[in-house]
Amino acid sequence: MSEKSSSGRDISRRKVLQSAVSATSVSLIPLTSCTTPVSAPQKLLSREAWLILEAFTDRIIPADANGPGAVAAGVPYYIENSLASWNAEELELLTTGLFALTSAARNRYDLDFQLLSDNNKDALLRDMEDGKIDTFENSAAIFSRLHRLTLEGMFSDPYYGGNQGYIGWDLIGYPGAVMSSTAQMQQMGGRLPPLHTSAYGSDYDGE
Amino acid sequence: MTTNLAEVDVVVVGLGAAGGVAVLPLTQAGLNVVGLEAGTWMNPGRDYKADEIHNNVRSLVTTGNKVAGEVPTVRNSPTATAVQQTRHPMMNAVGGTSIHYHAQSWRLNPWDFNVRSATLERYGADYIPQDTTLEDWPVSYADMEPFYDNVEYAVGVSGKAGNIQGQINPEGNIFEGPRQRDYPMPPLRSCDFLDHMYEAGQSVGYHPYHGPAAINSQPYDGRPGCQYHGYCDRGGCDVRAKNSTDVSTIPKAQATGNLEIRDNANVRRINVDNTGKATGVTYLRDGEEFFQPARAVLLGCYTYENIRTLLLSTSAYYPNGLGNNRGQVGKHYFGHWDIQGGTLVTALFPFDLNIWYGAIAQGVMVDDWADDNFDHSGLGFIGGASLHVYTEKHPIGAAAMGTFGRVNRRWGSEWKDFIKENAGRTQTAYIQTNTFPYQHTWADLDPNVIDPFGDPVLRVTNGRKQNEPMAAAHAANKMEDWFRAAGATDIVNTGGGRGPALSTHAHGGTRMGTNPDTSVCDPWGFSFEAKNLGILGGSVMGTAGARNPTQTIQALAWRTAHHLVQEWDEITA
Repeated sequence: MSEKSSSGRDISRRKVLQSAVSATSVSLIPLTSCTTPVSAPQKLLSREAWLILEAFTDRIIPADANGPGAVAAGVPYYIENSLASWNAEELELLTTGLFALTSAARNRYDLDFQLLSDNNKDALLRDMEDGKIDTFENSAAIFSRLHRLTLEGMFSDPYYGGNQGYIGWDLIGYPGAVMSSTAQMQQMGGRLPPLHTSAYGSDYDGE
Repeated sequence: MTTNLAEVDVVVVGLGAAGGVAVLPLTQAGLNVVGLEAGTWMNPGRDYKADEIHNNVRSLVTTGNKVAGEVPTVRNSPTATAVQQTRHPMMNAVGGTSIHYHAQSWRLNPWDFNVRSATLERYGADYIPQDTTLEDWPVSYADMEPFYDNVEYAVGVSGKAGNIQGQINPEGNIFEGPRQRDYPMPPLRSCDFLDHMYEAGQSVGYHPYHGPAAINSQPYDGRPGCQYHGYCDRGGCDVRAKNSTDVSTIPKAQATGNLEIRDNANVRRINVDNTGKATGVTYLRDGEEFFQPARAVLLGCYTYENIRTLLLSTSAYYPNGLGNNRGQVGKHYFGHWDIQGGTLVTALFPFDLNIWYGAIAQGVMVDDWADDNFDHSGLGFIGGASLHVYTEKHPIGAAAMGTFGRVNRRWGSEWKDFIKENAGRTQTAYIQTNTFPYQHTWADLDPNVIDPFGDPVLRVTNGRKQNEPMAAAHAANKMEDWFRAAGATDIVNTGGGRGPALSTHAHGGTRMGTNPDTSVCDPWGFSFEAKNLGILGGSVMGTAGARNPTQTIQALAWRTAHHLVQEWDEITA
């Protein structure tokens, strides 16, 4: 049922994705630790789709006064990994959705989505969420799925490629995965100190 | 080509919460038992993770091979075409759904066993819900008490008694029926938030208590106590502190030497002779077909598969399905009216709750608005709901919280600021409503949708109910009062909801009763028509209590197995 190789960190990310995509019974393989995700051409998503996805997640959870956002947390990596694995059935729909989003950006502003100002990105995303873009079929449902995957990437165990450096868990105050908790770890009255621990323990070192 | 195997005393179909308990009294009595299970053994170290993606997003613990192809279809009117659902509560594994359930482990309230007669006596015929097929159970709470006790000690249940032989203890549930002794273990650990809710409950006049759980609160039976890591929901327990049958009763049955478990065995049909008696079961394993003859058959699948297996097992004697010559198989089915039915009360507090860790069964319960624990005169409904406040909050679920109207969209900086402050300050109560069977809700075989073997899947026709939404909404308002007394600033209360079609607490369909024209099983859980076929599971229950059904399912399974042992000669004659 489960899913890891003992020397996961030696495997390059690209190879991981290749093997995940080609395998008939897709399973997840641990990723290289990656504290500063970069926008680089990927194997599963085209560079163009990746840039749109990155810009999308950046507006869902932006970097701001409350700290780093989805991109710094590696959320696009989580999404791509899931689309290479257990969400493979959604790959076509969501990729089509990303291109429909950038088509709408070109129609309205004559620019690719990722090149828009934040205000214009947000205006377009509101219309996407509300299903108000004529040329964009199923935009509300696609927004909903990409939004959900963004949250999953931000707040899941960093084992899956997002929540790098525990950025997501620090934001909401979840200390980290533990195998055992004490009564003190259930005390009210202020936030618990961050533990920065993954359920996959030493198999994953996110920092 | 079917391989005929040597006859055994009993074949048990399904080694989950029910079958996994029934094998213990059977094997302890010296009967030779074969347990057939569609799944296999789970490996806690390998299969269970403190990981929301693993358990709740990918459902890796609960997703089995067989169940994926047999999810029932649902329709909301008898003329509509039913649609197959995507999620299902069943699980194939040794231990079954007891592996991933929350392990809240209850005895039903004594009232649950005689709702009809008690209602007629206290409120009159006008209070019997319209269109209900409600009957008193053929057993009383007192009949069940010894079997509840057996389960609590053999499986291992933590809790505090509220009523020992009539002595009321307000540390426990003062509304519970009398029990012969206390639980074998004290309740699970409390925590700050639960203590806070406990005091708030008392301040509004409720009687809060720490609810019982089939989870070790301390070492028991050679296994450790709960570690409260917060991934109990839809996850298995990697330290075996959750007393699923694969770590509790099944190993004890194996230790007798009288239980042979065949995993990955997909039971296709129950076979009968020309007098209608069960002769054994036909199953597939690794693509090969086997016939396992047995003197008695105990069918212990999840409710949906109990019903479907009977309906598929047609013969000259039973042209409409095994034990269905009176057309009762699938009737009186219903899903438990709980959070899945849409009764949600969610509160936002102005302080951090720190309930990330814990377990869903680590909770405070209130029974004041459940069962017949309050006067319903003038209210227009019977029953009610239990209120449960608990711990265990997962980070994705926390961040996906509702926003109580405080921000417009669930994205962007404004929303990020909101969840930064509030993701750890909210909780949703678990409200479970007494639920009854109705004429317009039943299960049968779907005429259009088939499983990978070409057999029809089950179809649920789900009619509207009037009593349950009123009872649930009444209790939801009481929950709202409780949360407000605890200092909640914002509350979303969805009211009574619409009720579920499919449920993790599926009840009925092979109801146990005294009248063969309105029930499938006799008062001991054996088919009225095939007398050596016993049925185990929620499918035999004629009503749902205001609480999780598993311990009652297990006590009934023990009782049915006990009866088989006691009346062996007559039942297998």
